[in-house]
Amino acid sequence: MTDKIDIKNVAKLAALKLNEDEQQQLEKDLSMIIEHFAALSEMDLPDDKISIHPLGMSLNLAEDIASKSLTHEEALRNAPDSKDGQFVVPPSLD
Amino acid sequence: MNIIPTIGMETHVELKTNSKMFCRCYVLDTDLPNESLCPTCLGLPGSLPAPNKKAIEFITLLALSTNCSITNEGMFHRKNYFYPDLPKNYQISQFDLPVGTEGSLEIVVDGEFETVEIERVHMEEDTGKSTHIGSGRIDSATSTHLDFNRAGIPLVEVVTKPLIKSSKEAVAYIEELRQLVIDLNISEGKLEKGNLRFDANISVAYEGDKELGTKVEIKNMNSLKSLEKAIEYEISRQTKMLKSKENIIQETRHWDEKKEVTSSMRSKEGSADYRYFSDPDIPNMILSEDFVNTIKATIPVLPSEKRKVFMDSGLSIEDSNNLGKSSNWIGEFYIQVSEITKDSKASFNFITGELQGQLRKLELLSLPNWVTAKNLSEIIILVNNDKISFTSAKEILTKLIEEKLEPEEYAVSNNLIQENDIDEIGKIVLEVIDSNEEVIIRISDGEDKLIGFLVGQIIKLSKGKVNPSVAKELLLKEINS
Amino acid sequence: MENHKLSISKINKLFKDKELKPSELYDEVFERAASTESIIHGHLTLFQEENIQKALESNTRYEKGEHLGPLDGIPIAIKDNINISGHVTSCSSKMLANYVSPYDATVITKLKKEGVLFTGKTNLDEFAMGSSTENSAFGPTKNPWDPSRVPGGSSGGSAAVVSAGSAIASLGSDTGGSIRQPASFCGVVGFKPTYGTVSRYGLIAFASSLDQIGPITNNVEDAKLIFNSISGHDPKDATSLIATKTEQPNLNKAKIGIIKELMEDGISEDAKEEVYKVAKLMEAEGHEIVEVSLPLTKMSISIYYLIAPAECSANLSRFDGVRYGARVSGNTSSEMMELTRAEGFGPEVKKRILLGTYALSAGYYDAYYGQALKARAMMKKEFTDIYKQVDYVISPTTPSDPFKFGEKSDNQLEMYMSDLCTIPANLVGMPAISIPTGLSSQGLPLSVQIMSPANTDNTLLDFSQTLQSLVSFIDKPILNRTEK
Repeated sequence: MTDKIDIKNVAKLAALKLNEDEQQQLEKDLSMIIEHFAALSEMDLPDDKISIHPLGMSLNLAEDIASKSLTHEEALRNAPDSKDGQFVVPPSLD
Repeated sequence: MNIIPTIGMETHVELKTNSKMFCRCYVLDTDLPNESLCPTCLGLPGSLPAPNKKAIEFITLLALSTNCSITNEGMFHRKNYFYPDLPKNYQISQFDLPVGTEGSLEIVVDGEFETVEIERVHMEEDTGKSTHIGSGRIDSATSTHLDFNRAGIPLVEVVTKPLIKSSKEAVAYIEELRQLVIDLNISEGKLEKGNLRFDANISVAYEGDKELGTKVEIKNMNSLKSLEKAIEYEISRQTKMLKSKENIIQETRHWDEKKEVTSSMRSKEGSADYRYFSDPDIPNMILSEDFVNTIKATIPVLPSEKRKVFMDSGLSIEDSNNLGKSSNWIGEFYIQVSEITKDSKASFNFITGELQGQLRKLELLSLPNWVTAKNLSEIIILVNNDKISFTSAKEILTKLIEEKLEPEEYAVSNNLIQENDIDEIGKIVLEVIDSNEEVIIRISDGEDKLIGFLVGQIIKLSKGKVNPSVAKELLLKEINS
Repeated sequence: MENHKLSISKINKLFKDKELKPSELYDEVFERAASTESIIHGHLTLFQEENIQKALESNTRYEKGEHLGPLDGIPIAIKDNINISGHVTSCSSKMLANYVSPYDATVITKLKKEGVLFTGKTNLDEFAMGSSTENSAFGPTKNPWDPSRVPGGSSGGSAAVVSAGSAIASLGSDTGGSIRQPASFCGVVGFKPTYGTVSRYGLIAFASSLDQIGPITNNVEDAKLIFNSISGHDPKDATSLIATKTEQPNLNKAKIGIIKELMEDGISEDAKEEVYKVAKLMEAEGHEIVEVSLPLTKMSISIYYLIAPAECSANLSRFDGVRYGARVSGNTSSEMMELTRAEGFGPEVKKRILLGTYALSAGYYDAYYGQALKARAMMKKEFTDIYKQVDYVISPTTPSDPFKFGEKSDNQLEMYMSDLCTIPANLVGMPAISIPTGLSSQGLPLSVQIMSPANTDNTLLDFSQTLQSLVSFIDKPILNRTEK
């Protein structure tokens, strides 16, 4: 399998603005790595149910007991911009 | 050829747990922004999700009550997209192993039963709230303010199959789902607070076509009224396009409440690629048979079961459905009353009309303990037997809510018992005819509306004791003779 | 004074016997820091001033005989991807250069309760992605054995400071070898526990299904002590294991498998030699040595470089300039996010985010990420089967001794290959330890890695202690030697 990576589309999905040089360099680097995956991609592997936990542990649910954590000030302390107790960002259009 | 619309609904139900879905922050109903936050729901580096047991119990309850199959092994997935109100820029949701699949919900449309097929019921987390600051229009905003109190509140998404046929059916479905989550006690179910939020997928096609038309998603409908109007608008828009062979684009459209039109939302380049993958922070979730059975045992009487009981008492589908929307105790009270009165329709009308009206006026949430099925039935029976007028019945009810009394006794001692004796009434009728000669002439000349005036005179003269319908009957007989 | 090279239990005894005060040891490690940090740059931040009071409080506890446990008064360094409340947690990234955490990681809460004194936060490859600390936005850490060489990574700072003596021990995190590889390069012990035994709450995630916090120490005994104080179920981490089975006692006669595939091409003669040397020593003790084959280990690099970037692509999405961290302004919020991430992340981080995004994207998921998950499950089966035959498996920790700065930074695949031996333990979730055993022909440290089945951490540590006493590795880094 030799899929060419559509670096512009992938960068858009990853919300990364890349300049021309970066695009070229990354496209080259990533293609090389992806080529390395060929042997794995071509392996015939059984289609068993996958457990996402490496040891196959199953989920323990938490009791619904609420408690106070961060204060309002703590929550906003690292905000790059805030106003009236809210985080502020440039307009989000879509 | 007929053009047929097809509608699928996606509904988000906000659960009323104490704490959020993946952290133990309070689920708060407050106007103070950013008050209920922790590292997890604010998406701080290093935080991790710890799924809420109560939320899983609630969704299982809802899935069972909509006749879904419950998966024995569920998974949480990450749905990846960047948006400022999504703290991690991925939403924890469910993908190929949701809690419930392949269910159904019985609804009532125009007095008839219909069934809505449910495709899936899955668990996810809510996002924060964005407020666009500027000149009011979203595309001319100067900044966006973010409040994350809502981020992480548990949401159940209920997705129907695209088999809904009309706006009425869609509205009835939302009403039924709303009643269900209220009866299950898993959500406040308030549309105006956004506890229930819905999108509609709409397409149109010629009747008999094997394939559905192009699907258009409609967002931003905040009430049942807007849901109905938006669907109707969209069906007519698409129908016109189909007739004139225009190309319908697969897109998301926004319902404009003021203009009452749908308009295309700024579309993202290409179709969304959410890169779903199993969340490695959350192990597979086993929903054992024991767990499911335990939840099953807690299912209360469902709206459909309530309807059945009311119908068995003699009510129509429509009335049964409406009664089901009242508090449970009203329904139970109705059953007791109708068993005594043996008149389901009169009992239904008196309870849902007069009694509930009085309670609302007085802002009472329950009945005073002396108002019993027995004495309420007594009032209804008095009316049914023509012993008192409906007006008197209302008066007795008002008094009864104020203080303990025996309705019949009260009617007697307050001269409310109607005169049904034909001879006695006849005398009064003649008396009135005699003293209103001019009016009688006008009636003979065709001024029918004056009959009512004379009936009023008769009732006045009898001090309200005469049964108006009997009085009218006798009066007409005299005039025509 | 050379107290900083004593074992923690010996230090604790000196404290209890009032022959040494916590504040004196505290001063000693900061003296070491003063003389070594300018060369090795292991710490990003030092907490000397603010923690002196805590050292004095520890003095008082020992004076009154009310000390909190064996770690009371022990200066420990923390990798800068583990949150300590009130301190910057930078992940060696421009993105978080000024980010002050409002909360403690669970491991920090546990160590605070034991009276541990934190020396500071240590350097790493940005967001723990790398094998040399060359990817740190704040400059690399140097190897105390030879400052022209890398200390390994990503926990390079944590390994270097223990080696140099500016901390008695440290915490690192290990996603594909990030504790063991730098420990090996710096001639110290590095332990990656069973996945889920140590809470990840407060560890800034790289790859959630692989990450595990563990100790870097001067000896196995210290590793065991720290492991047991930081492990245990944590309800805040849903992947945290509930209870571990009662472990087997240390075996007098164990069966040990040398992994055939990790003794082939790409492994230096020196590194192989260490494994054979150790095997001989153990054989002499009556243990049985066999060769075992785990064919899928050959695929570990590919499996790892699909799973880890896929997970990291989502884990690092939260760094967007909205709620915390760096922000580069833009006309719209999406432009702001894209510029912030372009500016805030270094090249290796961007590369892995893009790789993971690609592997998960529509049309490629099954061939790449989906396939990697299947192969990972198969590899787990291979190990499960092998552990029916042997008690432990061993291999070199690293294919070679420490490399020079720049030596591999131009060849990404070769750099990735330096994790060849360590990745399987992360993919399978089993515990693995790296123990320094000797020097290469260039006089640089080499280690052997031992692995055992999941949830046998203490058994593995006990066994490793025996091995440690057999090899009696006593060499010290150049920095320490020149000082003497």
